[in-house]
Amino acid sequence: MTGQPPLIRLAGISKSFGDVHANRDITLDIEEGRILALLGENGAGKSTLMSILAGQLQPDSGTIFLQGSPIVLSTTDRAIGAGIGMVYQHFKLVEAMTVAENIQLGHAGGMWLSWPKIHEEVRDLAAQYGMKVDPAARIGSLSMGEKQQVEILKLLHRRSRILIFDEPTAVLTPHEAENLFATMKLMVGQGKAIVFISHKLEEVMAIADSIAILRRGEVVDRVAAAAVSSSAELAERMVGREVLLQVDRQPLEPRQIVLKAEQLDGAGLHAVDLELRQGEILGIVGVAGNGQKPLVEMICGLCPPPAGTIRLLGMEWRKFFADQQWDLALSYIPEDRQGLATCQGLDLLDNFLLTTRGGFVRGPWLQRALADEKAARLIRDFDIRPPNLQALAWQLSGGNLQKMVLAREFYRKPRLIVAEQPTQGLDIAATEDVWKLLLEAREQAGILLVTGDLAEAMALSDRIAVMFEGRIVATFSTDDGEYVARIPQMMAGLEPDV
Amino acid sequence: MFRIRITKRKEPRGWSSFLVLTAAVALSLALSGLLLALGGTPPLDGLAVLFKGAYGSRFAIEDCLVKAIPIFLCSLGVAVAFRLQVWNIGAEGQFALGAVGASWVALTFPGLPSPFMLPAMIAMAVLAGGLWGMVPAILRQHFRTNEIIVTLMLNYIAILFLDYLVYGVWKDPTSFGFPMTSEFSPQAVVGRIGTTGVNWGLAHCLVLGTAVWVFIRFTRLGYELKAAGDSVRAARYAGIPYDRLVVLVMVISGALAGWAGFLEASATINRLQPTIMVGYGYTAIVVAWLARLNPLAIGVASFLLAGLRVGVENLQLDLQVPAAFGGILEGLILLTVLAGGFFNLYRFSVRRA
Repeated sequence: MTGQPPLIRLAGISKSFGDVHANRDITLDIEEGRILALLGENGAGKSTLMSILAGQLQPDSGTIFLQGSPIVLSTTDRAIGAGIGMVYQHFKLVEAMTVAENIQLGHAGGMWLSWPKIHEEVRDLAAQYGMKVDPAARIGSLSMGEKQQVEILKLLHRRSRILIFDEPTAVLTPHEAENLFATMKLMVGQGKAIVFISHKLEEVMAIADSIAILRRGEVVDRVAAAAVSSSAELAERMVGREVLLQVDRQPLEPRQIVLKAEQLDGAGLHAVDLELRQGEILGIVGVAGNGQKPLVEMICGLCPPPAGTIRLLGMEWRKFFADQQWDLALSYIPEDRQGLATCQGLDLLDNFLLTTRGGFVRGPWLQRALADEKAARLIRDFDIRPPNLQALAWQLSGGNLQKMVLAREFYRKPRLIVAEQPTQGLDIAATEDVWKLLLEAREQAGILLVTGDLAEAMALSDRIAVMFEGRIVATFSTDDGEYVARIPQMMAGLEPDV
Repeated sequence: MFRIRITKRKEPRGWSSFLVLTAAVALSLALSGLLLALGGTPPLDGLAVLFKGAYGSRFAIEDCLVKAIPIFLCSLGVAVAFRLQVWNIGAEGQFALGAVGASWVALTFPGLPSPFMLPAMIAMAVLAGGLWGMVPAILRQHFRTNEIIVTLMLNYIAILFLDYLVYGVWKDPTSFGFPMTSEFSPQAVVGRIGTTGVNWGLAHCLVLGTAVWVFIRFTRLGYELKAAGDSVRAARYAGIPYDRLVVLVMVISGALAGWAGFLEASATINRLQPTIMVGYGYTAIVVAWLARLNPLAIGVASFLLAGLRVGVENLQLDLQVPAAFGGILEGLILLTVLAGGFFNLYRFSVRRA
């Protein structure tokens, strides 16, 4: 626009992990004096892209241009040298040290440090950007907002010109968030470039100059913030409409209630009511961070509901989880396959036994030989590669690990399934397999499908519930066209006044 | 310019991990040789005397076995806790409490008939050691204390408690002021195997070692330990009662160390006295790491490190090398083996910068 090359240009960046395309042919400009917002669900490829910019990952193909000339960010040091700095969601600060000491960390320089001088520099810098931080304060005594200011000062002190904020407001109070936005405005006013990663549509609308939307590793939309009329429009652009896959879904006669939640409150939820019957899939859609996580954790027994009641398979929550059966009960297919659903250091047989062990015990003994036989058959049936029970979980690709988890969970013949982002990070073929499996399982079970992918929710669900800020805005049948058309508005918090 | 790149291994090392272990032990021996040379002892002679003293005669080997018994049992215990990544440094204190528990039975009921005496002593030792292990486990799960610190501190309490007993209430009036209890009655003493100098504690080790191996390998609880040791989050996801497992492993750990304390008091010194505490509980940690928590390997490593203790006594007599040398060598072995673990996880490659 100005004829001058952008500060940073990403041209055709691609990055794959095994068979998963984390980033596919991404082209983006990061311009001086502007705030670029990156929007996308978890797993859309934002973190990969930013890790490439920070020099932590190398792209498989594509080029990064700094002010028009190509550079290779082969190490984090080079990225810092190029003026790229990142404010991580989880702060990288030494709690026991002071603000000034943290800012000085990692700085090259002589052997001698002049603390009065550093303190003065920090104080000046803070004042320049409207921050109030005492250089001598210990990090441990600061609030989250102040800690974030220290992270920002760290970058400013080393003269970073491109600042990347990874969900910066997730840990802030509303007041602190306003202060942060004021600081960001001051920084772009001084000619810095800012990349702002967020799930919160309102914030993006309020602060960004331009917006790029990522889905499944690709930039699907790029707009100037001024051209977007409302956060509902943004939500619509974000969830998209294109249907990648079509599966044949015959409605079943819903039978008995397998899950009933009433007036769940607290831990980020507000008066949530849910009912799920055997034979149906209830899709929970919404932008990430609007209460899906606490809801799932309560239903799956990871944390007790602070208020309200949950009945699973007709049993009260406490009783259900006190003596949970290994089979014919609840299967939870979590989003975090690596950290929660599997033990990364154990082999596939041990991972198969993780939730099915109840079916292979006689007295105190574990019947490994029997489990080995059953697990080997599952590996064949589900085409898990490598087809080797001795392979360790961390050696499997994301798609194969997910198939392993599904094979295991379906082996338990559950009557209630909670599936969280079940196809995230999977390729098309694997996604289709997972969808078919879920539809088959529906005959025996009620399925709660939590997904950020509207196409997935539409393809699989019989009913859809939209979540916003811990509430269920509306629940309706997938066949109800009027409601379905208004999903993006509901995801942005508007009431479904149909 | 060349640069060394350190990358995480994709595949775990196979048989060559044994090579790393050997290299680590060799390095620690080389370093201790250097230490001997600095002290004016010819290093090769010194190491030769050490080995001859440890394994050079029937008497020496019997002595090694006798010392290996308590090390083995303590190590078996800490290995069970280490499997769950619970760092029990408290075998020493649990050992002391076990010895106290067994001695209490032997001193309070000296007339107990022999079929009841030893089982009662074992029960009391296991109970005392197990409860002493349970304390840090409960503190850890309820108050998020660090088990390393707590188990370590409890060692001092246990040892001082033992001292208090033998200097005070339990002191033998006929001991001419020496801090020791009176000798146990004959039925409270674990006897020797045939004409050897080795006591029947060796058989206890075989039985308990097999039991622990069967437990971790073939039972549901053993599997749950393995899974929870790999990932606490996944364990909670799978409904494994992690808090209870932590308590369980610490009780098993303490019970085994307590059993070792019973054997040491009953079979080796036939009474309770402060010299019972010679650091077996700490050696057990080195042994558990050397053996990678495998019960059979713990047997072998216990014998080897017991040999170190016996050999150093010889070194002290023949070449006047200070007794602390044994502790230094033991520490060096642990450090080099731990450092060697790095080579099992990472690979080095040299490339042009």
